[in-house]
Amino acid sequence: MIIVALAGSAEAATRPRYGGVLRVEIRESMESVDPPDSGTGLADLMGGFAITRWEAGRRAIYAADNNAPGGRPFVDAVEVQMGRALRDQSIDLEVGKADVIELGAGESRRGAAGRKMWMSAPVRTVALVFGPRVEDARIREGLALAVDRAAILNVLLQRQGEISGALLPQWISGYAFLFQPAADLGKARTMIAAAPPGARSLSLGVEDASLRAMADRVALNARDAGLTVTTAPQANPGDVRLVEVEIASSDPARALAGIAAALGLIAPARMENAEAVYNAERAMLEGFRVVPLFHLPDVYGAGPWVRGGAGISPLGQWKFENLWLEGDRP
Amino acid sequence: MTFRTRLLLIFTLAVIASAGVVELLVQKATGREFERMDAARSDALVTQFRKEFDRRSQEVVRAVEGIGGSDNALNIAISPDPTSFYGEAGALAAAHGLDLLELVAGDGAIVSSAEWPARFGYREDWLVDHGDWMEGRAFLRRAELPDGVTLALAAVSTVTAGDRKLFVVGGQQLDQAFLSSLVLPDGMRALLYRSLEPKFAAAQMLGPGPRSAELQELVEDTLARKRERYRIVGAGADAESFHALPLAGYDGAALGALLIGSSRRGLAELESQQLRYGISVAAFGILMSVALGAWATARVTRPVERLARSATAVAAGNWDTTVEVTSGDEIGRLALAFNRMTGELMAQRERLVQAERVAAWRELARRLAHELKNPLFPLQITVENMQRARSQYPEQFDEVFREGTQTLLAELGNLKQIVARFSDFARMPAPEMQPVDFNRLISEIMKLFEAQLAQAGIAAREELDPAAPTVMADPEQMTRALRNLILNAIDAMPRGGTLTVRTRRLGLGLRLEVSDTGQGLTPEECGRLFTPYYTTKTHGTGLGLAIVQSVVSDHHGRISVAGAPGKGATFQIDLSDRTG
Repeated sequence: MIIVALAGSAEAATRPRYGGVLRVEIRESMESVDPPDSGTGLADLMGGFAITRWEAGRRAIYAADNNAPGGRPFVDAVEVQMGRALRDQSIDLEVGKADVIELGAGESRRGAAGRKMWMSAPVRTVALVFGPRVEDARIREGLALAVDRAAILNVLLQRQGEISGALLPQWISGYAFLFQPAADLGKARTMIAAAPPGARSLSLGVEDASLRAMADRVALNARDAGLTVTTAPQANPGDVRLVEVEIASSDPARALAGIAAALGLIAPARMENAEAVYNAERAMLEGFRVVPLFHLPDVYGAGPWVRGGAGISPLGQWKFENLWLEGDRP
Repeated sequence: MTFRTRLLLIFTLAVIASAGVVELLVQKATGREFERMDAARSDALVTQFRKEFDRRSQEVVRAVEGIGGSDNALNIAISPDPTSFYGEAGALAAAHGLDLLELVAGDGAIVSSAEWPARFGYREDWLVDHGDWMEGRAFLRRAELPDGVTLALAAVSTVTAGDRKLFVVGGQQLDQAFLSSLVLPDGMRALLYRSLEPKFAAAQMLGPGPRSAELQELVEDTLARKRERYRIVGAGADAESFHALPLAGYDGAALGALLIGSSRRGLAELESQQLRYGISVAAFGILMSVALGAWATARVTRPVERLARSATAVAAGNWDTTVEVTSGDEIGRLALAFNRMTGELMAQRERLVQAERVAAWRELARRLAHELKNPLFPLQITVENMQRARSQYPEQFDEVFREGTQTLLAELGNLKQIVARFSDFARMPAPEMQPVDFNRLISEIMKLFEAQLAQAGIAAREELDPAAPTVMADPEQMTRALRNLILNAIDAMPRGGTLTVRTRRLGLGLRLEVSDTGQGLTPEECGRLFTPYYTTKTHGTGLGLAIVQSVVSDHHGRISVAGAPGKGATFQIDLSDRTG
């Protein structure tokens, strides 16, 4: 898939160097007792590195494995700082306190000179998920029609990712174009006006703080359609949730099953072919209980001193074995 | 009410009225002065508000122009894709101390909004429509926020780069903090009403203290007229005077009102204190006036009272009463005149008594002569007949003598009867009082006269009030009096008529009436009817009605007669139940 690498002009002429500690910062704060052994991110290090220190929710240190199947990684260790806000990560990269960071949508297009950016294929689905209290389908469909996805994509997401009406991205399912998202404010107003007044007030739960701006825009769009949407505190699930689900597999059936599990939807036990997957997804989306909005990529930033090509795979998996550090940090 | 009391009352009322007028004038003058001071304080506060408003306006203008002149704004203006700047406004607003900041593209679309970041892409057509912005000047505007609408002091700066344009709209909210910056004297407060909703909303009234709802009318009036208004709200010590200033937006619409309230507690307390002082002074003045008035009126009225007492004594019959003359003023001259008048009255009474005494003697002599002359003439004729029979007809003398002596005895009897009647009048005994039922008494008397009345062709009517009370009286004397009246009525109706006797309750007393339908009485006769020895008849002693009057008088009653010639006469006797 697409990997964008903004490399320094002299990179091709340099040779890999061994040594050093690659400092990585992530938003997620993993509170498990043991380091994760599956999924993207930390678990991807397990091939070339071995865990040497685990401070749940704070820090993890992985040391290079001299006996790694693909050869010893260039860096001696990878130190992962967890629970860092995107803004703090960006500052840390600027001042040289971090080598690899996650990039928020707003940061990706205004990076400092020399900063590298690694972008995966769209591997996360952002969707609105209605709770059982929102019984009126007109309210659900009205909100789905009211959301101005294009504005959000252009401004808040800085055109990273794609608008979608499907749960699975096009590059995985191949049929996502069949679920074209509709935006019709007039129709949304009509549908919501037809609903009883008591149903026209909703609370919108946001699980991830980075989605707060998107939630505010959804609330604003909803207000234009005659719906009063208040963003609920983070701990409050709300009547409707704005969620981001990571797609863990490039296999459509497994990916859909994973999304269904994450959203609390019921997926068929067996989806043997593409048609079955399509039918299953269509069934999930009927009734507007789930309204897909976007498919987003994973985006990472790296300092210019980080060499060795892209640090992530198309699915967003970490590939730090081939990275090395060169030159001084700021 | 006595003259002295009246004089004293007038004197007191005059003092109270004077004190009241003075108090009123003082209160009015104080009120005017307070209003003037209040207006001056309000004007000072309004001036202070305007200065603060201007200062804030300049701050906003400077900040907005600073942003407009910055490289950031220029970069945004020239950027072919300004979407990446959607978060820019928040940082710029914070850096320039603005509550509100919007960066708006030349087509009116919001590039970035500090107060509502999610509004990117929404249109602010008012910016484009207005065209020529008053650069360097601030104005009021309603600004939308995620949680509602607010009133802001805003300014616009336009960044132009070639054919591209960027509007920088920044401002500060007019909120509680803005009001807090005003320095208010004691007893004053400033309120800010933000006209953010179609109708008056008490929640939009910023500022300390209650009465938001009470100010609705003033606010609505100010916003509707767009002129400064003044009103007093509340009453008594809790009253407040409010000056309301309309706050207009860039298009002249009234977007809010500044209300400057001034407590009237000071005026109320001042008025109350003045009232207390006034009442104290008035009370002291009244007491003094009462004392002085009592002394003065006593000096004035004492001689008048002496005159009044003397006049009362004269009215009671003490004609020899005199008044002490203590001064030479009008009262003294009045006393001298009074004394002269009573002297004259005494002299006149003496002369009148003498004249009446002479007249009475003459009347008595005339009556006696008349009464005695009637029996004397038959006596003389009888004696002369007896002498003539003795000398000329001795054979008939015995017969004549016998008849003559009978005649003589009869006439002598008449003479004795006349003498006895005069004697009776002379010795009228004192009444022996006992409860008397006059209805029954009258019925009994009328029975005695039935035959006589029938013979005279007179119809008798008794109109007796069943509610007539029993009255203390001497039944013998009253019987005599009523019989005299009935006989008098019979004599008045020689050709018959109707005799009516009535009784009627008169308070606790009784009224007796005896009416006839005879020839009636002239006013002169009515006046003299009760004079002893006066009679309108050719026979009688003239003592009958005098006896009736004497009896009624002895019973402390009153008798009167009313009548006119040809219309009969009515005698009224009023008896009070003095001992009942």
